[in-house]
Amino acid sequence: MSIGTYIAMDFWRNLRNIGNSFFVIVLPTVLFLFFGASMEWSNVPVGEGNVSAWTMISIACYGAAMAATSLAGSAAVELQQGWGRQLALTALPHGGFVMAKTAVALGIAVLPVLVLNITGVFTVTDMPVGTWIATALLTVVGVVPFALYGLAIGMAFRSDAAVGTATGLLVIFSFLGNAFTPLDGVLLDIGRFTPLYGVVALARYPLTGGDQISMNGIAGNDPLWMVLANVVAWTLVFAAACLMLQRRRTRRQ
Amino acid sequence: MDTAPVISLRGVRRSFPSGGGRVRAVDGVDLTVCTGEVVALLGPNGAGKTTLIDMILGLTVPEHGTVEVLGTTPRKAVTAGRISALLQTGGLLPDLTVRETVRMIASLHRAPLGVDEVLEAAGATDFASRRVSTCSGGQQQRLRFALALLTRPEILILDEPTAGMDVNARRAFWDSMRSLADGGSTVVFATHYLVEAEQFARRAVLMNAGTILADGPTDEVRQRAGVARVTVTWSPTDTELQALEHVVDVQRHGPRLEFRTDDADGLARHLLTHTDAHGLEVAPASLDEAFRYLTAGETERTVAA
Repeated sequence: MSIGTYIAMDFWRNLRNIGNSFFVIVLPTVLFLFFGASMEWSNVPVGEGNVSAWTMISIACYGAAMAATSLAGSAAVELQQGWGRQLALTALPHGGFVMAKTAVALGIAVLPVLVLNITGVFTVTDMPVGTWIATALLTVVGVVPFALYGLAIGMAFRSDAAVGTATGLLVIFSFLGNAFTPLDGVLLDIGRFTPLYGVVALARYPLTGGDQISMNGIAGNDPLWMVLANVVAWTLVFAAACLMLQRRRTRRQ
Repeated sequence: MDTAPVISLRGVRRSFPSGGGRVRAVDGVDLTVCTGEVVALLGPNGAGKTTLIDMILGLTVPEHGTVEVLGTTPRKAVTAGRISALLQTGGLLPDLTVRETVRMIASLHRAPLGVDEVLEAAGATDFASRRVSTCSGGQQQRLRFALALLTRPEILILDEPTAGMDVNARRAFWDSMRSLADGGSTVVFATHYLVEAEQFARRAVLMNAGTILADGPTDEVRQRAGVARVTVTWSPTDTELQALEHVVDVQRHGPRLEFRTDDADGLARHLLTHTDAHGLEVAPASLDEAFRYLTAGETERTVAA
């Protein structure tokens, strides 16, 4: 048995899926090159780095969340379309599928973070090295609630189209999550309660210490507990949805 | 031939929630299959065939009773690659090629055969580089067959293996299955194409509402269902007609009378020796009729009880 071969082939299968790779890797990189690396304000200092760093982290979070949602969602659809039964007829141990899929999803989610950070290094992004590494790691951690979100949608609707829609919705979450255009006022107040806000704010925490930047300077400061509360709350909401759907599903099996 | 039992189910039960209550999908089944047997599992949708197969493969665990495969648990037999299955539609990833699918599943077996070897054996070499999504139903089925062959299993389970195949694909499929059975493998297949059971299986197991109605050599099961047809030219009186025994049904076609009977020999003997009936013909009924008869009988019995 060689589960490594299985993981590698599944990784490659997902990577060559043009739709996935485009939205997960190409689009975020292009967005960053436009809005994060070539604007007149890209070099303006923010926290420990500059605006370009702020933008890079935001877009990396968006790309990683896309990857996690799409992979987890398609995994749920795969299982329910009978691939799980096919795997159950092999020597793959119980829980092996989850392990393999986690490895693949993490691998794919790391790609946009890696590509964007490298693009950042070679353009105008500026952060101290320690801060840089911390934000990159937090970006990857931030995929957890979105993996659960994708899983829940995949289990609930059992179709690739639904997973596609769920992935598309992330554009709205990213906007409300203060990841695309800097928000202030009422929109920022509303945004604080949306799922992508927490993980983006968390990933940017090492850079600004919780300050939220807008076109007019600093629009507010989020204490760390608030940022963590958002991440934990949404993780729990999506996890609960998964458990409920799982129970509904196994009732028939 | 060695005829040791390779599959043995004892008092197996499995129910699922449905609406407010629970439906017994499999309700007290005893079944033993021996080495080299080819067994057809017949029954209408909802008879419990798939649930029974799932338990033999360890995909579902029975609530009561025991399932033993090759002297061990189903899961251990699967892990060792000694039992394998060709599952119903689904179970394939559309964006993989045929060869990639085989390679991926092979990577999860302990000692798989070569990818090319099973593709060849399943007749899938010609379209090995094609994406699964562009394969016909018959080609996908050959791919599933290739996957099932990966571990050179001693027992092969097939769940409605020819669903969605055209006539030619179906014939080709059963040809390859026959050569496998001739090689000594044990084959259990669920089907609703009764012709397939008649042509391919030496033993038939009829299921309905979670229980086994009949189990034996396919010919015998058909006879036991009591539906041979005896046709004669005869104009009997009502008294003569009522004197007949073992008659299930009678129909008149011009001068000919057609009897459905569960004792063709006895009826024929009586007609030829005690009446002036002549031009007698005996024909075994199809399994299709046997099946309808048996399941209808079951329903009546249930209603009466």
